[in-house]
Amino acid sequence: MKMDVVIAGVGGQGNIFASLVISQYAMNKKLNVLGSETIGAAQRGGSVVSHIRISPGAIYSPLISRGQADLLIGMESVEMLRHLRLLNPAGTYLLNAVKIPTVLNNMGLDEYPAEEEIVLAAQEYCPNGRVIEASALAKKLGNVQMTNVVMLGALVKIVPFFDYNEVKWLVNANSPERFKEANLEGFEGGYKLVP
Amino acid sequence: MNEKRYVMGDTAIARGAIEAGVRVVAGYPGTPATEIVEDCLGYPGVHVEWANNEKVAFELCTGASLCHVRAMPVMKHNGTNFVTDFLMHVNFTGIRGGLVLISADDPGGLSSQNEEDTRILVHQYAHLPIFDPSSPQEAKAMVKEAFDLSEKTELVFCLRPVTRVCHARGIVKFEELPKDLPPAHYQPDRERFIMSAVEMPKFGGVKRPQIRHRWLNEKQALLQEIMEESRYNWIEKEEGKTGLVGCGMGYTLIKEAEQFLNKKLPLLKLGTLPLPRGKLREFVKGLERVVIFEETEPFVEGLFKKIFHEEKIEVEVLGRSGFVPADGELNLQVVLEAIQKANPFVKVSQPEVPPLNVHIPIRTRTQCVGCNYRGILNALKQVVRKYKGVVAGDIGCHDAGSFRPMELQSTIYCMGSSVPMASGMVLAGLNRPVFAFIGDSTFYHNGLLGLINAATQKVNVNVILGENTVTAMTGFQPHPGTGTTISGEKTIQVNVAKLAEALDISYRVVNPYDIQECRQALEAAVKEEGPSLIVSSMPCYLLSTRRGKKVFEPREVRVDLERCNGCMICINDFGCPAISLNKKEKKVSIDPMICVGCALCVDVCKRGAIS
Repeated sequence: MKMDVVIAGVGGQGNIFASLVISQYAMNKKLNVLGSETIGAAQRGGSVVSHIRISPGAIYSPLISRGQADLLIGMESVEMLRHLRLLNPAGTYLLNAVKIPTVLNNMGLDEYPAEEEIVLAAQEYCPNGRVIEASALAKKLGNVQMTNVVMLGALVKIVPFFDYNEVKWLVNANSPERFKEANLEGFEGGYKLVP
Repeated sequence: MNEKRYVMGDTAIARGAIEAGVRVVAGYPGTPATEIVEDCLGYPGVHVEWANNEKVAFELCTGASLCHVRAMPVMKHNGTNFVTDFLMHVNFTGIRGGLVLISADDPGGLSSQNEEDTRILVHQYAHLPIFDPSSPQEAKAMVKEAFDLSEKTELVFCLRPVTRVCHARGIVKFEELPKDLPPAHYQPDRERFIMSAVEMPKFGGVKRPQIRHRWLNEKQALLQEIMEESRYNWIEKEEGKTGLVGCGMGYTLIKEAEQFLNKKLPLLKLGTLPLPRGKLREFVKGLERVVIFEETEPFVEGLFKKIFHEEKIEVEVLGRSGFVPADGELNLQVVLEAIQKANPFVKVSQPEVPPLNVHIPIRTRTQCVGCNYRGILNALKQVVRKYKGVVAGDIGCHDAGSFRPMELQSTIYCMGSSVPMASGMVLAGLNRPVFAFIGDSTFYHNGLLGLINAATQKVNVNVILGENTVTAMTGFQPHPGTGTTISGEKTIQVNVAKLAEALDISYRVVNPYDIQECRQALEAAVKEEGPSLIVSSMPCYLLSTRRGKKVFEPREVRVDLERCNGCMICINDFGCPAISLNKKEKKVSIDPMICVGCALCVDVCKRGAIS
């Protein structure tokens, strides 16, 4: 079974950590993995997207094409919308309900869509999705930087492809020593966030 | 050791070089090539460095190569442009130890000031061979082989990876590292390594440049032979009159496209320059047309047309001279459309996806929240407005000051262009204060020469050096103003005050977190004659924070809604992402989730509404 994953967010939200955990998980399952990242301007609040392609067979392009993603992880609302059409409407999305306005939004020259509008657009496009408040939980747990591990915890709950214990082990293994405990707490928190 | 790892293309390239026994690696940071240099670190006996520019890196690597040591200069396409002068000499002399130039291209300009195709420069202009990889694993194999072939042919070999190879991640095989590399040694060979217009008695007094040119031309037959046998070119036979040609990433996208087609078409995979003429001849037998997919210029397309003309082959050649879009990055959609256009009998079955009826705002990048550049840029904005000044900009994090909302710098070209361009504006007789804004890494790259010229010509230009002590844009690489090397060892930190003294120009240092101080220094510079240097000095906020060092004392910042009259100065002249306008109330607010408490905005507000 193939699993094409897109992670869309804004620089500094920890996309790359999440994409490494997912890729290693697939490698441990002896699957083929190919991925791609937009980095470079990432530190300056630009759009950041990671593509991870997992398959038992050959994979060619490091980029996922229109309608091919099985899973879309939206770390930020507008960034998820920007990449929504990569998702197969029969796939799954997981959205962190957080709004990071753009420069033009702040200037009052461009509208950031209303939350209801975003959720409606996503639901109309793909019925199988979850919206969670991962950043809010991460902040409550002490650090908004933990949003990515909260999202991974929630992901494990909603996508059967991922095994709870194996992903948790990878979160631990990939975390720097001083963040291990907090990251595991974030992961657990994310898991519990989804009923 | 034979281990499979999931790594970035850049890491694969670095590993390939190390396995090939590279001993000197030098480059200048630039997306997408930066990680290649960094990933060469940590192997004993390998010297790895960030040179202050690409030309220095290339020349240094050539010096090593002439001592029979393998060396690898690493750069992005802009860097290859910068080393062209040297390239046009080393191609004539040839090299000794394997020398592999990594020239990474960024189709679509995803993280660059321009988009271009360095294959033209390296192959068409310098007549040097190139490998064009289609995946991280292939890039690794190519680098290793390039070192051997470079020694065999005595020529610089080039690997030209594109962003989608450099920043792709894939499963790559790590193999054994070499043991017991031969020591460096040098014997003079002045007939080769002195590039000068000297008569050569051996050749009846013909001058050396012509003889070396002849030597390079004569190498082409050997290269042709090597590429004919290369394992990076192959034919995938299928039925049909329309053949597809995939160069590097072009091949990868054709393979991806095949999954959406009802039938496969004949396919030629190409990874080398020069092209394998024999394979071309074999491939086109029975074909009526070929469609070539390459990044980015119609370069191989042109070579096909030339070969077909010479060999009287009547096959139509289509590609990026317009049949496939002539600009931007290739993608699956472009490839599918071109295939269908070239062969209407092929059916494409791609799932339709519903449209989205929601507005998606464009997200442009800006300085980080808390970045000290925002302070000096705001002060400069105020002074520019007051005195009707003009600002020439340069490459680096401060460039976001030229976008909305600041719209401060009026020009941005290449590394170090700001100071000479600003000087030119002054010398043209522009009766307005002229500023150049340049970051410190760019300054040591090629900006200093412009400043020396401005000092020599006594140009009345105001140069602002944004000294954040690191190459921040590409991910915090050290430069001559940092005080450490790539491996973290202590080294000299260029003393800018002494440079200014040597140039006999006025010199001021300001703290960018103090907007008042910055403004006063800028105004003073405007009022004096001759070149002025204003150093806005403060380490990068993001890097300092990661290292647990404070560059300011964070504090809670609030908007007094009574005082705020919605004048927008804090947004339009400052542009911190934490500050936004509430359209209904015509008041601004600061998002505590985004604000880091640098309090620069307190100085920006003229009504004292932010405290």
